[in-house]
Amino acid sequence: MTRFLSKDFLSGLMFIGFGLLALYFGQKLALGTPVRMGPGWVPRMLSLILLGLGGLICVIALVSGGEQVERLKWKPLTMVTIGIVCFALLFERAGLLPALIVLILISSLGGEEFKLTEVIGNMIALAILCIVVFKIGLGMNISIIRGVW
Amino acid sequence: MELLNNLALGLSVAVSLQNLLYALLGCMVGTLIGVLPGIGPVATIAMLLPITFHLPPTASLIMLAGIYYGAQYGGSTTAVLVNLPGEASSVVTCLDGYQMARKGRAGAALSISAVGSFFAGTVGTIMIVVFAEPLTRMAQKFGPADYCALMALGLVAAVVLASGSVTKAIAMVFLGLLFGLVGTDVNTGAQRFTFDVPELSDGIDFAPIAMGLFGIAEIVVNLERHLERSGAIKVGSLWPTREEIRRAIPAVLRGTTLGALLGVLPGGGPTLGAFSAYTLEKKLSKHPEEFGKGAVEGVAAPEAANNAAAQTSFIPMLTLGIPSNAVMALMVGAMIIQGIQPGPEVMTKKPDLFWGMIVSMWVGNAMLVVINLPMIGIWVKLLTVPYRFLAPAILLFCCIGAYSLQNSTFHVMQVALFGVLGYVFVKLGCEGAPFLLGLVLGPQMEEYFRRAMLLSRGDAMVFLERPISLGLLITTAALLLLMALPNIKKARKEAFQEEG
Repeated sequence: MTRFLSKDFLSGLMFIGFGLLALYFGQKLALGTPVRMGPGWVPRMLSLILLGLGGLICVIALVSGGEQVERLKWKPLTMVTIGIVCFALLFERAGLLPALIVLILISSLGGEEFKLTEVIGNMIALAILCIVVFKIGLGMNISIIRGVW
Repeated sequence: MELLNNLALGLSVAVSLQNLLYALLGCMVGTLIGVLPGIGPVATIAMLLPITFHLPPTASLIMLAGIYYGAQYGGSTTAVLVNLPGEASSVVTCLDGYQMARKGRAGAALSISAVGSFFAGTVGTIMIVVFAEPLTRMAQKFGPADYCALMALGLVAAVVLASGSVTKAIAMVFLGLLFGLVGTDVNTGAQRFTFDVPELSDGIDFAPIAMGLFGIAEIVVNLERHLERSGAIKVGSLWPTREEIRRAIPAVLRGTTLGALLGVLPGGGPTLGAFSAYTLEKKLSKHPEEFGKGAVEGVAAPEAANNAAAQTSFIPMLTLGIPSNAVMALMVGAMIIQGIQPGPEVMTKKPDLFWGMIVSMWVGNAMLVVINLPMIGIWVKLLTVPYRFLAPAILLFCCIGAYSLQNSTFHVMQVALFGVLGYVFVKLGCEGAPFLLGLVLGPQMEEYFRRAMLLSRGDAMVFLERPISLGLLITTAALLLLMALPNIKKARKEAFQEEG
């Protein structure tokens, strides 16, 4: 059972997965002929190679075992990802400042230590830096707080 | 004579006030991120790619190059002072550099490494100047089939020399090539893998992928690991003793030569250069037992080698348009953002950019010696900034940078998505660099492949009939076969274990 949880076996599965996805979504693309290749020729070729390599990696992993996948810690990954997504949702609707506050708050929650005063200090420093660099320095057309500045 | 004219042209570009400022800025940023652990040149250059869009092409490339070699200098500072490699390439410097620091010779170690690096950087720059023209002229004779074969060789060699499993790395290259196909097909206008998302019809932007894979994934992994910090050490006198100088000079010379040669190879670059130089010094030394206990050669040689390699790794990128490592792939991306197609035409069509950039590298190296030695105290203070402040700041810059690419939050979402993918890659032991190389070369390689097949009327033998292409493909196959030999497989595994 542990063999199926090795890094190599799982990465082989990942390559097979990408290969299958590319085959599925690329099936409508015209292949063309070797002389005049259609848009589908190279993607088809690449996905087949990927399938082959993925299979090879899986087989080797099953035969020779290999390193186990480390235990995943979900907190940093989820917090960082949610933070970025919130930033993307807020940036145009509410402006840089609200997006910045939410991003820093959520991503700081992903770390091991969390002190509210430190996080607020970090927010203020970064807000000033961003306004100076991006709004004033580079003259980017972004609103700090939507409708206000 | 022509060489001198070219250099004069380059000098006139490099010393313009604007370009000097951007070189300085690049060197400062590079040193900064070199000193700070947990953020490397790849992530930084990816973060800054969108900003370079607002700058003139020459200035932006000068700045990005400055970040790259600045990071080599900065990385060695922390390696010596606190036994923390700021960069992968300065891992070996820790071994003897930190031991020298514990003996109170930190200042000497730092000045030897700075001056050695400057010397190596100068030699590296000269090598670029000497080899650029012949290589470019050779590349101009290449047909589509030859180019395709050259890219195959570049990709395979990059994979073979990078650490880890060869099969997995090759699969990563193909995955990168596949991602590079997303968008409108140039020849027919057909939409490929765009899922009716209008933003994808121009292809997946390079910058959000690089930011996600290298920036975000790195942050997440670092947050998991909880970076430890040790207290800073006193620098002491910057002057090396006569004995130290006597031992350092030959080591610097050997390190420079080895680094400069290894830097040109695809997949080579600073890290490989530094490790090989250290091993060489240990083998040649009459006192191998001193290594690891503060041998001057163990600092001088790898430091010279990593800087020489950082310089010469520009050669294949500038002359052939083939990136040899992840940073060079990003430089290619930066050129494409500016509307410049990297390859042999750059030198003939944009001589001011080409030579200006090369001369500015030398200028930048000189600046780094000045920035590093007197200001060392400031850099050391920066080390005390905890990662929990740094991580949100890097995230924020990634997000704003991604948005500013095309003023669209779609790109920010892409950063999040590729961050998750990058994390999966790290956990599965799949390296991001081969993926990035495949991604950058994908569209061009397909283009050349299809053109070659069209010219040969669908006969795949064209790749074996043209002598240049045949030679390149034989080399590629030989490299792959070599890797399969049990002896080499074992030696390679051992070499990389020493690294880890």
